[in-house]
Amino acid sequence: MPSFAPGLWENLSHDIHYIWPHILLMVSGLLMLWPLDTWLLPWTKAEKHKWAIPTMAILVVSLVLSIYTPNGLGFSAMYKVDGLAKGFQVLCILASIFAVMLSQKVLGALVEHTAEYYALILFATSGMLFMCGAVDLVTIYFSIELMALCIYILVAYLRQQERGIEAGMKYFLLGAFSSGIMLFGISLLFAATGGITTNLTELNQKLAVVSQDKSLLVYSGVLMVLVGLCFKVAAVPFHMWSPDVYDGAPTPITAWLATAPKAASLAVFLRVFGTGFHSISYEWEAPLMLICGASMILGNVAAIKQQSLKRLLAYSSIAHVGYMLLGVLSRDAQAGAQAVWLYMLLYLFMNTGAFAVLIYLQGKNEGERIEDFAGMGKRHPVLAFSMLVFLLSLAGIPPFIGFFGKFYIFLLAVEQGFTTLVVIALLTSAVSAFYYLEVVKQMYFKEPAEGEVEPMDSYSKFLISTACALVLVGTAFGPQLLKWTDDIRWFEKEAPAVVMEFSNK
Amino acid sequence: MEQLLIKLGQYMFVIFGLLAVGGAGVLIFSKSAVHSVIGFLFSMICVAGCFLSLQAEFLGVAQLLVYAGGIVVLFLFVVMLVELTKYQEKGIFQTQTKFAIPLVGLGLLAFAGVFRTALFGASTNEALTLQPGLVGATENLGNAQAVSRGLFANFILPFEILSVILLVALVGAIVLAKSERV
Repeated sequence: MPSFAPGLWENLSHDIHYIWPHILLMVSGLLMLWPLDTWLLPWTKAEKHKWAIPTMAILVVSLVLSIYTPNGLGFSAMYKVDGLAKGFQVLCILASIFAVMLSQKVLGALVEHTAEYYALILFATSGMLFMCGAVDLVTIYFSIELMALCIYILVAYLRQQERGIEAGMKYFLLGAFSSGIMLFGISLLFAATGGITTNLTELNQKLAVVSQDKSLLVYSGVLMVLVGLCFKVAAVPFHMWSPDVYDGAPTPITAWLATAPKAASLAVFLRVFGTGFHSISYEWEAPLMLICGASMILGNVAAIKQQSLKRLLAYSSIAHVGYMLLGVLSRDAQAGAQAVWLYMLLYLFMNTGAFAVLIYLQGKNEGERIEDFAGMGKRHPVLAFSMLVFLLSLAGIPPFIGFFGKFYIFLLAVEQGFTTLVVIALLTSAVSAFYYLEVVKQMYFKEPAEGEVEPMDSYSKFLISTACALVLVGTAFGPQLLKWTDDIRWFEKEAPAVVMEFSNK
Repeated sequence: MEQLLIKLGQYMFVIFGLLAVGGAGVLIFSKSAVHSVIGFLFSMICVAGCFLSLQAEFLGVAQLLVYAGGIVVLFLFVVMLVELTKYQEKGIFQTQTKFAIPLVGLGLLAFAGVFRTALFGASTNEALTLQPGLVGATENLGNAQAVSRGLFANFILPFEILSVILLVALVGAIVLAKSERV
């Protein structure tokens, strides 16, 4: 009989090769909190931006590690590495790298606690990596909580600003409430399937044969999980928090919020509804269709009236989530996952680019309101051009890369028979072109306000030019993109669930 | 009488559950903060009773120790230290009452349906207990042992994630609440 410590070590180390990138992120975040910040790197005190480079290096290493992690199933069938997990993990890490690059200006306003800012980004990223690979409702819940808790703190990080505190508080209360609803749903499903398993694959088999008496239990459980996840991706009608939070959070965090947590939550969405509840798709298809259509309509229509570009981008991200939910709806779960991944990748570049321009203008105390863009075409021709590219791409106008993603996902939805939703999507895309072009109009056809040109920091310059180039010519690399997209797949053979336990004999 | 006692034993879970809901009602509706805390304490003790009636002794005791012992005391400290009288006019908190009440009623009805099927439907022949198969134990183990097996064998990954969550909560509390050094 092995004693406790060796048994525990065996359990921990048996499957540890699946989670090296997560461990790297968590351990380096921990070391950044202490002792590196106070003892080993005293020069960070003098130059507080120095933490950016180590953080980016750590993220890049974890990016490489997560790409080369072997496929497999581990930790008592709770965590799976496959194409889907890897693809979305790459998106999350990329978004975090962008957030760190964009954060330089905002962090200038902070007096202390700069190391914690980066450490929290690392912790949140590790939570997202767990979310992408989690195949058990318990793991999914805990990894969502890890990510969300970090985000609540980061939203309220600039605590001398009242708006930020309010946003953080609001997000925290609503987020805790929605997590509670989701947990309740999970427990109902657990009870309905006999109280034996929370593993998605097993749950799928059990839900398919659950007796008629329990269908109400199953239905409410599925709905509650759906509500919890929709809150995380800010789909209508669970979007109320998102404009306020996007508005109040530090702008780099807003850019990050619109991409990384959404990528991770969509991975969970695909995993839960593609494998876990796949056999009972009749239970959730109608509600999800409603949510999808409502997100597209309300997101785009509400964006028209916005005066602040941050809020406009918040509503537009609600609409983009609506488009992506079309992929979740797909009955061919694998094709749906591929379309969502492709869309999210392209959205990551367009959205981060637009936010980078916004952050640059904000450094001069403008950029919040759309009028501040007046005459940007004359003042900063290059910047205005890249903003034009990002906005047109977000609107889905060919030949920019946003069109490619939209085309791919709409085509899939038509093939799957969601014609009505695609018609709504096309109409609302036209609406979205209206408010994106409103900003363009301000930039090119309005007289500039007075003001001198401020130099841009090198990170933003690099980020904006790279993103702009990718969005401009990305469509030319379509075949390569499709090749990557093809790798986003569940691995075919389900490995047998290995249940580890301490032997008592 | 004996018949009644057997019946009572069977419905212990429901009784404790209803009492817990009652405690939660006191928590929300009472005007005085101290009464609210006592309602919370009562509710937590009843939840512990629910766990005990499901033969989850370990969870029940842990619930008593953590909630009744720890958290309620903290709440009482807060109630004593913070002056609540200046928030007497409750108008600012209750602007949405007229929308909330019908919605809550609707939710209550829906859940009544769910729990009627859950508790008295065809599923009652499967006892609502912690199933030993869940923790992979074949022989009759003690409750604490079963929980520890769950934590350190099957559920080790969520357990480790949880440790990071606690760390993040700690960091967040410090970052958000510490006064700035001058």
